[in-house]
Amino acid sequence: MKVERSTVIRNRLGLHARPAAALVKVAGKFSCEISLGKDGNWVNGKSIMGVMTLAAEFGSTVLVRTEGDDAEQAAEALVQILSRELVEQ
Amino acid sequence: MTVKRLLNGVGVAPGIVIGPARVIRWELPEVKRSVILPEQVESEIDKLHEALAAVKELLEDLRNRTRQRAGDEESKIFDAQILMLEDPEFLGEVETLIRTNQLSAARAFEFKTLEMQAQWQQSHSHLLRQRVADLTGIQIRVLNRLLDESTAGELTGSHSSSAIVLTHELTPGLTVQLEREQVAGLASVGGAKTAHAAILARSLGIPCVMGLVDGLEKIQDGTTVILDGTHGVVLVDPTPAEIKEAKHNESLRANLQVRLEKVVGQPAETVDGERMTLRGNIDLPEEIEGTVEHGAEGVGLLRTEFLVLGRTSMPSEDEQARFFEFVARRFAPHPVVVRTYDLGGDKFPAAFRTDPESNPFLGWRAIRVCLDHPEFFRTQIRAALRARLEGDVRLMLPMVTQLEEVDCTRDFVAESARALEREGVPAAATLPVGVMIETPAAAILADQLAQESDFLSVGTNDLTQYTLAVDRGNARLAGRFLPHHPAVLHLLVRVRRAAQSAGVEASICGEMASDPLSAFLLIGLGFRVLSVSPPTLPLIRWLVRQVDATVAAEAASAALAASTAADAERVIEEAIAQYVDLELLRAGRLPTIAGAGRLKSFARGSA
Repeated sequence: MKVERSTVIRNRLGLHARPAAALVKVAGKFSCEISLGKDGNWVNGKSIMGVMTLAAEFGSTVLVRTEGDDAEQAAEALVQILSRELVEQ
Repeated sequence: MTVKRLLNGVGVAPGIVIGPARVIRWELPEVKRSVILPEQVESEIDKLHEALAAVKELLEDLRNRTRQRAGDEESKIFDAQILMLEDPEFLGEVETLIRTNQLSAARAFEFKTLEMQAQWQQSHSHLLRQRVADLTGIQIRVLNRLLDESTAGELTGSHSSSAIVLTHELTPGLTVQLEREQVAGLASVGGAKTAHAAILARSLGIPCVMGLVDGLEKIQDGTTVILDGTHGVVLVDPTPAEIKEAKHNESLRANLQVRLEKVVGQPAETVDGERMTLRGNIDLPEEIEGTVEHGAEGVGLLRTEFLVLGRTSMPSEDEQARFFEFVARRFAPHPVVVRTYDLGGDKFPAAFRTDPESNPFLGWRAIRVCLDHPEFFRTQIRAALRARLEGDVRLMLPMVTQLEEVDCTRDFVAESARALEREGVPAAATLPVGVMIETPAAAILADQLAQESDFLSVGTNDLTQYTLAVDRGNARLAGRFLPHHPAVLHLLVRVRRAAQSAGVEASICGEMASDPLSAFLLIGLGFRVLSVSPPTLPLIRWLVRQVDATVAAEAASAALAASTAADAERVIEEAIAQYVDLELLRAGRLPTIAGAGRLKSFARGSA
């Protein structure tokens, strides 16, 4: 199964180190392949270095692409994290 | 070769120590160009994974220790680094380099981290650029491990006796490794962002100097150094005469310390029977226990900025209520004065970050921010109302310049109390609201403010800064920052009189109260409540018990009549010398604690 979703970063500081760490931890729990894209650049959603490199700032649009058995749940979980206003609460 | 021997910094934890230097060098190890044989590939990959596992274990240990000593939020800084060591994509690429290009593990790891660093350094995101340091951190640790230099840059080595540790940056990772047995003294070049390092050093009783003017490069490990955490200097390779002098000063300090210990538990009462109330100023939760131990009769200034800074979210009402309740219970029945958020300038939580202001000290900050954001102010007021059920919780407003700011806050308090009642949340029906006098406007309006509020408390640093129009962070103006300037003294008298005629309490919660000479002057000016930095509680208690309030009052009158700050200080020194040995006092005089950078990295400085 393939799923693609789009969401807007709501964390004021953007997807910086700590939110990226939180995201990668969740991504690692799914067996499907996860990619995140911004402005045409794609990275592995299970790679903290990749996610940080995206440097997705507040208000930017991020695409989530998942492929595999639990693709639906994974996309859902990641969109929720990305669109959370205050990631660290 | 001439080496600069005297390194100046800021003393953040008192005491003088003499010992061998241990310079912590965080340098990238040199990786030799080496190509491996095809049959070595698998063992090279195994070596990589062993190194990664070892570094991960070290970081996890640091994370746990940080969590215990500085809290959950602080410990999260290690999360990203730990995840980097597990990054499947990144490590996959390192392995590919080992396999296909037959590079050594160290070389391959170095290549990929450098590549990543270059990419981050070019990023448009300044946050990402800042993370390059994290990447460098794991790069150094993993490479050291691979090159069998595993203890370089760590404190966990087996170096025997207690050394004086000199470092560029007291990183959280390094700070949590501090143990009294290993470290006799501590000095760092940086210091602005290491709030916990200073506090930890103080709580462990390790003399500490921060903000050293760089000169560490040339110091060899094992060179004898003298570190004076009281005056904020490090002396390299001292002469016998200098060692003798340092020992003399340390013995004076130790002598004073013995006297201070004798007055623990004694009331802060002058020789002529004037009873003073001594409270503590608390910046961070770690300081609470020390403040209780030193016999503080409450908290005269509970700063709340730490709840916000370094986080991307605003603390919830519950989180604040739990903290205020804890402090209230710990000090009951004595008061706990919660200062509402004193945030501004570039030290804002993410939610309020604004464009840089051209003049942040006169900018959108403190009570101004709170009143413009009632939704955020209300959570603090509601939390304080709830905590008042556990003790004498009071609210204090920073940087007040208008009477309306007090009225407006009172409206919020009344409205919040009604809302809590409607919601069935247990809370007090109201709470005392006081004004922190920090601006000339507030001091001049002290009469009206005293009528409208429940207490006044002077933040002397900001009052001095705003009255004299001297930025206290500007080193060129250091000689012009004069808390004993006649203009400041006249404002202090005005505040004390206003409070007296309105029948409300007037206290000092600024740094002046923590300085013995100034404390003597304040007693003379008629202040009976002083809130001081916790480590100075014993010194001020001891001082109060040595002096006569009537004589202090005479000295204060003379100081008020002085036309210059220098004259005022001379008068005070002469008067105090009748009771205490000035040399002894100087030895024990704490460095300007708030100037240690920790508060600069917080909001706009201390009271």
